[in-house]
Amino acid sequence: MAKQAAQHVTIRKAQRAPLLPMWAMLLGAAVVLLIGTFPYISGTNSYVLLLLGKFLCFAIFALSIDLIWGFAGILSLGQAVYFGIGAYIVALSLKINYAIEHPTRYGSKFPDFMEWNGLTALPTFMEPLIITPLAVAAALIIPTVLAFIFGVITFKRHIYGVYCAVITLAEALILQEFIIEYQAYTGGFNGITDYGNYVGAPFLWVILAITVAFFLIARFVTHSRIGTVLKSIRDNDVRAEFMGYNVANYRIFVFCLSAFMAAAAGAMYAAWVGIVSFLDAGPLQSVEGVIWTAVGGRATLIGPFIGAFLVRGLEFLLSGSWFANYWQFFMGILFIAVVLWIPDGLVGTIGNWLRRRPKASYAQIREEQDQIARDRQRDWEPAGAPKPGDELV
Amino acid sequence: MPLLEVEKLKTVVSGYTILNNLDFSVDENELRVLLGPNGAGKTTLIAMITGQFKPTAGKITFNGKNITNLPPDDIFLAGISRKFQVPNMYETLSVYDNVMVSLAGPRKVFKYLFKPITPQENERIWEILEFVELADRANDPVDTLSHGERQWLEMAMLVASRPKLLLLDEPTTGMTQEGKHRTADLILRIAKNHTVLLVEHDMHLVRQIAKRVTVMHQGQVLAEGPLTEVVENELVREVYLGKSGQH
Repeated sequence: MAKQAAQHVTIRKAQRAPLLPMWAMLLGAAVVLLIGTFPYISGTNSYVLLLLGKFLCFAIFALSIDLIWGFAGILSLGQAVYFGIGAYIVALSLKINYAIEHPTRYGSKFPDFMEWNGLTALPTFMEPLIITPLAVAAALIIPTVLAFIFGVITFKRHIYGVYCAVITLAEALILQEFIIEYQAYTGGFNGITDYGNYVGAPFLWVILAITVAFFLIARFVTHSRIGTVLKSIRDNDVRAEFMGYNVANYRIFVFCLSAFMAAAAGAMYAAWVGIVSFLDAGPLQSVEGVIWTAVGGRATLIGPFIGAFLVRGLEFLLSGSWFANYWQFFMGILFIAVVLWIPDGLVGTIGNWLRRRPKASYAQIREEQDQIARDRQRDWEPAGAPKPGDELV
Repeated sequence: MPLLEVEKLKTVVSGYTILNNLDFSVDENELRVLLGPNGAGKTTLIAMITGQFKPTAGKITFNGKNITNLPPDDIFLAGISRKFQVPNMYETLSVYDNVMVSLAGPRKVFKYLFKPITPQENERIWEILEFVELADRANDPVDTLSHGERQWLEMAMLVASRPKLLLLDEPTTGMTQEGKHRTADLILRIAKNHTVLLVEHDMHLVRQIAKRVTVMHQGQVLAEGPLTEVVENELVREVYLGKSGQH
C-alpha cells in the first residue's frame, strides 16, 4: 500500500506559481532601477519627474482597489475617501508647519486659509499635527480605523455587491461635501496648497520603496492561504459561509489592508505634489481608480500599475490637445469597452492568452491517469468525523 | 441519543406554513434518505438545519448542542456540512484549491495568513481527489468541469471538511444514468464512515442505496422506516408515488 502510494508521488503535484518568479524579480529590479535613477536623468525640475511620483501614488491607490475588488469581490466606489483623508492629514500637517516658519501677511503663525475664514488660532484638535511622525501615524491609522468601522457596519450585516458599491459612493460624496462645507478647517474649494513639496530623488525613493513593499505585501497576502480563501469568498460567499468561514471577518481584514494602502498613497501624494483638493477625496477619483484597475486587469497585481500609468500617461499626452475637453467622456467609453471586450483587463487577457494550453493534452493526461486513479480510489476511505483528540488536518 | 434531533420545528414564510411541527432525528453512522413530493419542505428543512433561515419555532439539537439560531459558519464548525442542490463551488479556483479551502482546520483570519499547506494536508487533498476520481483534473479551474464532476467535487469538499453529518441535497440532479450510478457508489463509500442525510427524488437511486427512509409531506413526517416497508405504505403511495391517482 505504502509502496504503491510512493509510485504516484510524481503526479500528486499541485501547480502553484512561485511567490515571485525569477523573470519577475529581474524585470521588477530593472523597473525600480530605472525609476530610481530617473531624477538624475531628468533633473529635479522636470515635470515628468513630478508625474512619475504622482503616478506611483495612483498606482498604489489602484492596487488597493484591486485587492478588494479583484481578489475579494468588493467593489468600492469610495476608495478615495481613505486616499483623501490620508492626503488631507499630511497636507494639513505640512501646511501648519509651513505657517509656523512663514507667518501670514497679518503675522499669524497658522495656515492662511484658516485666517481667511475667521479663525483666530489653530484649532486645538489640530495641534498634534505639528509633530510630523504623529501626523503620519494619524494619516495611516485614522483611515484604517474608519475602514474597520465601515466594514463592521456593512459586512457584518451581509451587505455586499451593488449595495456596498452604492454605500461607498455615498461615503465619498459625503466626505467631499464635508470638505467643502468646513472650509475653515479643510480649505474648502481651494484645497490646501502653498506648503512646499518634496519633489526630488530622496522622496521618490521613499515612494518607490513603499510601492515595492506594498506590492510584495499584496502578493504575499493573495498568494497565501488567506488569498485562496478571499478568492473563494469572491467566487461564492454562500459556499464559503457554509464551509465555516466567517465571511465578514475576511472582508473586513482585506478592506482595512486596502484602506491602509490607499491612505499611505494619499499621504505620499500630498507631500509629493504639494496640493490636495476635495476632488482627491471624491467619487471621481474613486471611480478613476476603478477604471485604472479594470483597464490594467483586476485580480492581477501588476494590472493596477499598468492601468494607472497607461491611463494617466495618456491623459498627460493628450492634455494639450482639443481632446482634453472630452477626456471624461473618453474615460467612460474606455471603461465600457474594457468591461465589454476585455473584462480581464490588459494584463489578464495577455496572461490568459499565454497560459492557454492545447486542448489535446487534457485528453492525453486524462487517459493516462484515469486508469491509475480508478485503480487506486477503492483503496482509500475518507476519514470520518474527527474524534476528540484527533488532530485536524 | 440521536446525532441530529429536530423537535417541533415550525416555519412560516409570509403566511404559508412550510414546516409544521416537524419531529425528526438522525442517528450516528446512519445513511438516511429524505423523500417527499415537491414542496414537502425537504430543502427548507436542510436550510433550517444549516442556519440559512431561522425557524419560526422549534429546536434543533446536534451532537448534544442547541444549534437552532446559530449562523451558518458556526453550524459548520459544529460538524454539519451541506451540499447544495445546484453545484456550488469556487468557480475560478482550481479543483485542488477548492478542496484545500474546504479542509477541516482553523477558520480564523490571522491563523491563515502565515499557515502554509502542510505535507499531511497536501496528502489528504490528493487522497480525497482520488477518492472521487478527480485527481487528474486537480489543476484545472472548476469552470472546465462537467456537471457531474462538479457534483462529485462538491462532495469531495464536504468529505474534506470532516463533518459529523453530511447533508446532500439532491446530488444527482441533472445527471446521466451512468453518472447517477457513480454518484450512488460514491455516496455508499462515503457513508461507510460518515453520517449522511440525503435528499433524493430519483427512486432508482433510492432503491440502490437506501436502508432507512423518511417521507415528508406538507411539512410533516408522513412515514419513516426501512425502504421496503415505506414503499408499501398506502399513505405514501397516495401522496408521493401517485399510485392511487386521486387528489
